[in-house]
Amino acid sequence: MLSLALAPNALAFTSPSVRENPGARKPILVALELSGGNDGLNTVVPFRNDDYYRLRPTLGIPAKDLLPLDAEFGFNPGLVGLQSLWRDEQLAIVHGCGYPQPSYSHFTSMAYWHTGAPNRGSEFGWLGRVADSLAHQRRDNMLVNIGAHQSLAVNSKIHTPVVFDDPNKFQRDRWMSVPESSANNASGRGFDARSNRAYLHAIHDSAQASSSLIRSAWQAYAADADYGVAPFDLPKVAACIDAGLPTQLYHVSVRNNAFDTHVQQPALHRRLLSYVSDAVTAFVRDLDAKGRADEVVVLLYSEFGRRPAENANQGTDHGTANVMMLAGKPIRGGHYGKPMDLSALGPEDNPVHGVDFRRVYASLIDGWLRSSSQAVLGDGFSGFDFFRI
Amino acid sequence: MALLWLVQGTGAVAEPLNLSPIQFAQWDVDKARHLASRAGFGASAEELAALVRLGPKAAVNAFLTSRPPEELAQFDHSGIFDAGLDPFPASRPATTRLAKQTGSALGITVKPGGNRPLQPVVDKFFYWLRASRLETDRVAYWWANRMLRQPYPLTEKMALFWHGHFAANEDKVRDYRKMLKQLELFQRAGLGSFRELLIGVAQDPAMLVFLDAGVNTKDSPNENFAREVMELFTMGVGNYSETDVREAARAFTGWSVDDLAFFVDPQLHDDASKQFLGSVGAFDGVDIIDLILQQPVASEFIAAKIYRFFVHTELSDAGATQLGQLLRQKNYHIGDFLQVLLLSEEFYRHRGGRIKGPVELVVSTYKQLGLERIPGVPDFNQATQGIGQRLLHPPTVAGWSHGRSWITPSLLYERGNFVLDVLFPDMNFVPPDRFPVYTPEVAKVQERLRQGMSISAATRPTAVQQGGVMAQSNALADRDEDFNTRIGSMRGWQMAIERVKPILRAPARVRLSDEVLAAGLKTPEEVVAYLHNKYFSVELAPEVLQDLARSLAADLAGEDIPAARSYLESPLRRLLHKMLSLPDYQLG
Repeated sequence: MLSLALAPNALAFTSPSVRENPGARKPILVALELSGGNDGLNTVVPFRNDDYYRLRPTLGIPAKDLLPLDAEFGFNPGLVGLQSLWRDEQLAIVHGCGYPQPSYSHFTSMAYWHTGAPNRGSEFGWLGRVADSLAHQRRDNMLVNIGAHQSLAVNSKIHTPVVFDDPNKFQRDRWMSVPESSANNASGRGFDARSNRAYLHAIHDSAQASSSLIRSAWQAYAADADYGVAPFDLPKVAACIDAGLPTQLYHVSVRNNAFDTHVQQPALHRRLLSYVSDAVTAFVRDLDAKGRADEVVVLLYSEFGRRPAENANQGTDHGTANVMMLAGKPIRGGHYGKPMDLSALGPEDNPVHGVDFRRVYASLIDGWLRSSSQAVLGDGFSGFDFFRI
Repeated sequence: MALLWLVQGTGAVAEPLNLSPIQFAQWDVDKARHLASRAGFGASAEELAALVRLGPKAAVNAFLTSRPPEELAQFDHSGIFDAGLDPFPASRPATTRLAKQTGSALGITVKPGGNRPLQPVVDKFFYWLRASRLETDRVAYWWANRMLRQPYPLTEKMALFWHGHFAANEDKVRDYRKMLKQLELFQRAGLGSFRELLIGVAQDPAMLVFLDAGVNTKDSPNENFAREVMELFTMGVGNYSETDVREAARAFTGWSVDDLAFFVDPQLHDDASKQFLGSVGAFDGVDIIDLILQQPVASEFIAAKIYRFFVHTELSDAGATQLGQLLRQKNYHIGDFLQVLLLSEEFYRHRGGRIKGPVELVVSTYKQLGLERIPGVPDFNQATQGIGQRLLHPPTVAGWSHGRSWITPSLLYERGNFVLDVLFPDMNFVPPDRFPVYTPEVAKVQERLRQGMSISAATRPTAVQQGGVMAQSNALADRDEDFNTRIGSMRGWQMAIERVKPILRAPARVRLSDEVLAAGLKTPEEVVAYLHNKYFSVELAPEVLQDLARSLAADLAGEDIPAARSYLESPLRRLLHKMLSLPDYQLG
C-alpha cells in the first residue's frame, strides 16, 4: 500500500511494483448511480411483449430500431457500447429489481438504495458499511466518491471517504511555500466528537492525507479509450486505479436527477443512455488496455424505474421495479432475475419487483468483495453467481 | 434527506425551546454579530455598531424591514430576448422538427434552399441557451450585490432560503426571465404569508416549467408537481398517500404559462370531484394548498426547516411541534414567526455551531473585507459553484443539503483557495462569460474554420481528429445535412457574447494595512487577536493564535507593526489567507 509520506512523483515508482505483484490486488467495485429514475423498460426492451407496446403506444421502441440482444430483448439504440460488452459476455442484466412497499419519492427511494435499508434507513451507506467490514480500523482512501457532495452511500462509521469533484482543484493553493500552521493540527482537538467543529477537523485531516495522491494520479493518467461526450467521472476512477490507490470502493453518479423524464422522453433518454453506455464501455476498455480490467466490476443502479404506461406528455412517471446492470471482465454476462410481468401490474399500475435489490448487493459483497453480506445488510440474501472467478 | 433528519432527530434532547425574548441588558456585540451573520451575511463595522446601539428588538426589526439600495432595486437587462423564442422547444431535435414541419421556429424562417437550410434555426437555438445562461449569471451577480450592499439583508437571506426550498434550475427552465421573476417573488413575498408565497410559487412560470406542470392536462394529470408540492414544499414524505398525489395532480390540471403569465385553461382543467387528505370536493389548486396548510404537519415542516436554516441543524420532534404551533399562531406569516425566533433565547444559544453555506461564506467574507461590490475576479458564480452552491442552479428540486453536506475534503480546500483568489487575484483568470471555459471545443471549431477547414472537417471532435475509436455519442453528433450542431454551438456563442452585457472584471480592492493601522494595532499578537475577533465565531486555541502571530512576525522580520507600514499589506494578506483557510472559519 502507498505510504502517505511519499512525495507525489513517488507514485511513478510505486505503481509498477503494484503491477508486478498481481497477487496483492484486491477486487474493486465502482457504483454508478443514474439519478432521477432511469426508465429500465426503454433501456432493455422486451420487444416480443405485446403488453409493452400496449402500455407505450408512442414511447414503445419498435423492434426494428432496437439493438438486438437475443430473441426476447433489445437495447435502446443509445446503448451501442453496452451491446458490445453484452456480445463479449461482460454484461449482466438483472431484471425486476426493487423492494417491498416502494417509495415514489426520488429522495426517499434513493436513500433506501444508498443505505440498503428500504423502509428503515440508516445513518451509514451500504458501501460505507462494506468498508467498515473490510477494515475495522480507520484507514485512508478506503472509499472514493467523486461528486459535488458526499453520497449517503459512502457514509461510514469508521472511515472518512475521499470526496472530490475536480482532481486539479483538489489541492491547497498557497502563497509560495508558506507552511501550514502546525499548531492547529496538533491542538485543534478536544471538541465534542459530535460537533460540526470536530467534523471539520476530521475532514481537513482526510484532505491532507489524500489530495496529493489523487492529483498526481490524475496528472499521470492518459485515457486509452474514447469516453464520449459525458464520461461521468469514470476516467478519474480509472486514474485512481491505474495509479495503484488501495481503494476498493468507488461511487460516481449521473447527477441532478437527469433521468427524471416526465416529458419529451425519447430523444433525451436515448442521449443520456448513450453517454452512460459510452462511458462505461470506454472505462472497461481503458482498464483492459492498462491491464487492470480483471479487477474491476461496475454496478449501474437507479432509485426506481418508471411506470410502464406512458403519460400524455411523451414521458413516464415514477415507477418501481427496474433493471440493474453489472459490467466488466469478471462478470459472467447474461440475464439474471425475473423480468417484470407487464400483464399483472400491482399498486399504482406499477410492476411488482421479482428481485430484492439487496440480493445484488449481497452477491457483490460476498462473491466479489469477499466480505459478509450478513454483516453489512443485517439479513441473509441469496446471491447470484455473477462472477467468472 | 428526510431520513437523515429522522436519524438526527432521535439523538436530540427533547427539552422545550426557550422562545422568550432576550432582554436589552443581555444585548452585546457578540449577539449583534450573531444576528447579523444568521439573519444576513455579517455586518460591516458601522452596521455592527448601529445594531449594538439599537438593542435586540429594534435590531431584529431593522432586518425585517430592510430594503435594497435604489440602484439595485431592478435588474439591468441586457436585452437578449426576441419574440419567437417563447415557447422554447424542449430540445434541439424538437426545434428542427418544428422548423421542418412548419417552415419556421424560434422566429426564424427556414431558408428556401442552399446549404444547410436549417442552420439559422439551430444557431438561434444555441444562441438562446447560451445567452439565457450568461444572463442568469448576471442575475446572480445582481442578487449577490443586494446581499452585500443592503445593510440588513434579511429579504435576501430569506430569498436564499426559499430558493433552496422551492428549487428550480435554469438548466431546465432555460429562460433567465422566468428565473428572475421567481427570485423577485422570493424577495418581495418571502417574509410575508406562506400561503400567498406558496400560491405564488404554484403559479410561477419557472416552477411550472421546472416541474413539467405546464403540460398538466385533464386527460393526463402530471404527478411531478403535485408530488413535490407535498413532499418537498409543505409536508414531507409519509403524510399523504399515492392517491392524494393523483388527486392533487387532477386539481392542478390546466394550470399553465403563456410566456411569463400564469393562466388556467378551463378546457384542460379537471373540475370533477376529488378526494384529498380526507376531504371531498371539486377542488382546484388553491383549494389543495389550503387543505395542506390545515394540516398541523405542514406548519411543523416549514417551521422546522426555517429553524434549521437560521438556528441549528438538530431539532427534536417536540421542538418541531412547538415551532409549528408558533407558525400557526402567527397565521403562517413568516416575518412574524422570524421576529419571535430571532429574538429568542434559543437563537442566541447557537453561536458558532453552524457550517456556513457557500454563498454565505463568500458574501460574508467580502463584507468583512469591506468591499463595496462583488468583485469580478474571482468570478462569483465560478467561486460559489466551486464550493458547492451556484445560485439559480440548485442540483435538484430538493435544493441544497445543508450542514455537513457542504463539506468534503476537496470542498474544504476549495474554500481556502477562494480566499487566496480574493487576496491575491489570479492573473491567469479567464472570464467564463466571454471565453468558453467549460466547453473549449467550441473555440476549437472556430479556430479550425478560421484556418480555412471545411465545415465537416472543422467540426470533427478534436479527440477524433487525433485518431482513435469514436464513442457513439461523438459519432452520432447530429450530422444532419440540413444543419450542423457544432457550427450552431459556435455561432450561438458568438451571438450571445455580442448581446449579453459583460461583467466588470475588477478584482477586490483590499486594504488590510490601512485597517490594521487605523485600529492602532502595534504587535503581531494584536493583529491576530483583532482578525480572530472580527472573522471567527469560535475561539481558536491559544497556541494556534501564537503560531499565527509568530508566522506574521517571521514574514515581517520584526514585531513592530507601525514600523512595517510600507510593506505590511502582503504579509497581512498571507496571514489572513492562512486564518480563513482554517476549518474553524467555516463555522458561523
